[in-house]
Amino acid sequence: MDCQSCDAGSERADRPHTFLLHEPSHCEACGRDVEARIVLRDGEVFALKFCPPCGQTEAKVSDDADAYVRELIAHGDVPANQAGDHLFKHTTSTCPECLDLVQAKVVIRSGQVFFKKDCAKCGPSEALVSEDSSYYVRAYGAARAGTEPHKFGSTVKAGCPTDCGTCGDHEQHTCLPIIEITDHCNLECPVCIVNNQYSNHMTTADFSKVIDRLIEAEGTLESIALSGGEPTSHPLLLDLIRIATRDEIGRIVIITNGLQLDGFSPETHEKIRGRDLTDEKNAALLALEELDIPTQLIFVAARGINEHQIGQAVELLLAKDHILSLNFQPVAHTGRGGGNLEHDPMDRLTIPGVIRRIDEQTHGKLKTSDFTPLPCSHPQCVSLTYILRLDDGSYLPFARFADFKKHGNLLRSSATLASTREMHDILQDVIYDVFADQDKIERGADALRALRRTVDVMFPDRLLTPHEAIRIGEQQAKSIFLHHYMDRHDFDLERLRKCCHHYAQVDGRLMPACGFNMFHRGAAKGESMPLSGLGTPPSSTPYLSGSRSDNAEPGTAKARLKVLNQ
Amino acid sequence: MSKGLLDGKTALVTGGSRGLGRAMCEVFAREGARVAFNYSRSEEDARETLEHLRAAGLDAWAFQASVLDKTGLRAMVAQIEERTGSIDILVNNAGIGQVVPLALMEEDDWDRMMDVHVKGAFLTTQAVLRGMVRQKRGRILNIGSLAGVKMIDAPVHYSAAKAALKGFTEALAKEIGRYGITVNCLAPGVLDEGVSQNLPKHRQEDYINHCALRRIGTSAEVAEVAAFVVSDRNSYMNGATIVVDGAV
Repeated sequence: MDCQSCDAGSERADRPHTFLLHEPSHCEACGRDVEARIVLRDGEVFALKFCPPCGQTEAKVSDDADAYVRELIAHGDVPANQAGDHLFKHTTSTCPECLDLVQAKVVIRSGQVFFKKDCAKCGPSEALVSEDSSYYVRAYGAARAGTEPHKFGSTVKAGCPTDCGTCGDHEQHTCLPIIEITDHCNLECPVCIVNNQYSNHMTTADFSKVIDRLIEAEGTLESIALSGGEPTSHPLLLDLIRIATRDEIGRIVIITNGLQLDGFSPETHEKIRGRDLTDEKNAALLALEELDIPTQLIFVAARGINEHQIGQAVELLLAKDHILSLNFQPVAHTGRGGGNLEHDPMDRLTIPGVIRRIDEQTHGKLKTSDFTPLPCSHPQCVSLTYILRLDDGSYLPFARFADFKKHGNLLRSSATLASTREMHDILQDVIYDVFADQDKIERGADALRALRRTVDVMFPDRLLTPHEAIRIGEQQAKSIFLHHYMDRHDFDLERLRKCCHHYAQVDGRLMPACGFNMFHRGAAKGESMPLSGLGTPPSSTPYLSGSRSDNAEPGTAKARLKVLNQ
Repeated sequence: MSKGLLDGKTALVTGGSRGLGRAMCEVFAREGARVAFNYSRSEEDARETLEHLRAAGLDAWAFQASVLDKTGLRAMVAQIEERTGSIDILVNNAGIGQVVPLALMEEDDWDRMMDVHVKGAFLTTQAVLRGMVRQKRGRILNIGSLAGVKMIDAPVHYSAAKAALKGFTEALAKEIGRYGITVNCLAPGVLDEGVSQNLPKHRQEDYINHCALRRIGTSAEVAEVAAFVVSDRNSYMNGATIVVDGAV
């Protein structure tokens, strides 16, 4: 469920610039080391700096934004005779031991990208951040201006990530708010990125406050996600759904472990979810199919555990009508589970690695070239492809007939095709492109016929209700998203800057996901990890520390878990 | 050397073997265009038009293809594009006339009239449009009629078909303007040749009586307007219906 709410129909304003990257710099006034946000504005390039004592400054870096981006990407070309690491750029990451922010050299080595860091306290470290340097470098060409919320949740005082909430220097609004309605769960997944306390279910009053705050910040939201813990363990889940059923909210998504399908064998379930869930998953999939419930599956992919079953998940997506979307998440080693999961930070799955495995394991049904970075988040965070269903039941990825660079708004809109004016115009452009070049395009005539069917059902000669529009739109194309959450090894402050998945807090703050997991939740390296000294301490979230729900019965879920495990 | 309005352009005129179609072929060629036209049955007229153009040293090709034959149209367009690289101008001119009151009109009469004018324009445009979209430029001119825009004595099915072309023009102009293609409609009054010749004499006289210029028009006069409309010098007119009727 990525970027559901960035459509141009929104009344929110775009950011005044396109955020490109971070680079080390210094305050012109006091000389202190600070980070510069490099942004593209009106065809020029500027460095925006924030120094806590001296405030905000900006300086022009280049008169030609296009040339600047071209040069950046060209800098990713490793000279043929170069031995050793090729320095691509710098950024700010974390020391994997103490979580202090440290400068990282972003280097290309044997076609892969690594962070090289040197913490003053803990010493040097390295981490793999991308298995394909070409993908990594080219992704910077996809950057696009973010959108501003109606209201920011915090002010710029100490800088990123301390000011999370979001502050006025954050580069993207809340595309997908995640509301953790409970910290109870019926599983203790070895890949879990949170830190369940089994202490609380969010009260309906607190939930209402969160919803009100989200609408105040965003106006309208195409989706909100209820998460946890396991959200279906909340005893008042239906009440919460009723509260969130408002005109301003298009869809309520439940992020449940029931729809996490990370493999097809008992061994993968045990390693990823803590126990063999084969029967439960099969039963759940069967029920969803019988009831024809539109389904998005999440596949947390881990090196050496389930990477060989990635293609099988894609085949399942293609085979089942009711499965509309598949979300691959390379495992992030953060939280109570993921933080403690055995791993090698130099040999792990990253987005291009998962894409390569999709290509290999589906025997080219989906190719590496079918995927493109999602430009509305940081381009290194999410990659995606849309797949059009042809009339004979086979599928054709959009990238084979639509130019994502040209039809960028196609990527901006939704995980599924929305029946909107903007989508109508984009589809028309795509249709005319295919029409004009159908002889050159793979299965061009078939694609045209499928697009004709899509237009017929998405834009009928009657007014669709919003629900109908969503339902019909989502059935026309399937999607595969890859979203790589960050951990202490590959954390990149520049990616956090443009994060659009935000944990909505009862105190009103909207916390960019990886920043919250890393610094504010306090569980970046598992339960024994001390809090980072870099950000503010984790928020004293009222629903965790004070206003416990009347309905909460601490221990209940734990007790149930024991029963389930017997 | 004076520069022609249509220098370097390739134009396809449907129904170009006689009447207004032939006049447009001649004027377009004179203005520097390479001209292709199709004809359905009148091979002799087509040959005459072609010989006339070639005798003047102008580039021209004739194709026997019905505007209702999708395959034939596609083959014709492919041949023209192969020879010239692209089609820059399309004139949907092919048409028929028939004077019959509604009371006696057969379903076949109606269908034939609508097919040749409207479906023919649709099929030909679709065949040519691919290339224009690729090039991101093009001029499409539909030959409508005064009968399609004003309440005059004219056969109902003819007026309906010509009015449909006006709508076709406007909707298509909106739809494909973003690709640099303009679509306009020319609506002539009664002319000295072509379908106007089917009109009973008293109707021609009525027309002349109501026309400010007190005469019927000529195909050549309309063709001159058409040449400007499809030229690059006419760059901002789009979705328009231009009436050329001597002021009726």
